[in-house]
Amino acid sequence: MPPVEIQIPPQPEFVGVVRLALGALGRSEGLDEEALEDLRTAVSEACTNAVVWSEEAGSEEPICVGWTPSTEEIAVDITDSAPGDPHASGNDSDAIPSRLELSMSLLRSLVDDISHEELEEGGRRTTLVIRKSPSTA
Amino acid sequence: MELGLDVRQVDDHSVVDVKGEIDVYTAPKLREKLIELVSEGSYDVVVNLEGVDFLDSTGLGVLVGALKRVKAHDGSLSLVCTQDKILKIFKITGLTKVFPIHDSVDEATSSSE
Repeated sequence: MPPVEIQIPPQPEFVGVVRLALGALGRSEGLDEEALEDLRTAVSEACTNAVVWSEEAGSEEPICVGWTPSTEEIAVDITDSAPGDPHASGNDSDAIPSRLELSMSLLRSLVDDISHEELEEGGRRTTLVIRKSPSTA
Repeated sequence: MELGLDVRQVDDHSVVDVKGEIDVYTAPKLREKLIELVSEGSYDVVVNLEGVDFLDSTGLGVLVGALKRVKAHDGSLSLVCTQDKILKIFKITGLTKVFPIHDSVDEATSSSE
């Protein structure tokens, strides 16, 4: 299957659209139900972060979701254009994690690999990788 | 995408039956309902997640916020959930240690937690 790119406005109501699309794409790649749920949740988390950062920065630039399958893995990258450093806002030291900390915890656990890249033109790209075969320890 | 919320009273508890997907778009509706319950004096709350198809960090954040609100009044907030895909989200984030999670509304409302 060729790569697919989806663009959504940086608004909460469109994150569900990405989940629907990812579900269909994941099934076409033969992912089992658990892997599919993990992928949908992880991508939804990354899109949610992009929407929140865009709203906080007042950015109206679309969020781009790229789907790049190969024989061995599926890479999904989520790109936003929100200026600033969204990780700069800290927790209030409460014992219970913040929403962002919960999101990062989910992202790290649900995919095989995750990377973040700050973009020169502003914004960032988060790339999630799910391997089609079981990961080796 | 709509989120269904129904509230009923079971013994001394307010039970919120949630249906649909809880995400960044729908979570505010749940948040408002839980705030409304606490403002009306309902401090022992059960959130029934058996009808929930999706839950993410914004949903978790809403539940955590509600827990803090009821605890400020010496109340309780427990969850009903048997779906593995939703329980997984609580396990990954460590929130199984924070929320009592029950297999049924009956169990939740009869528990002393």
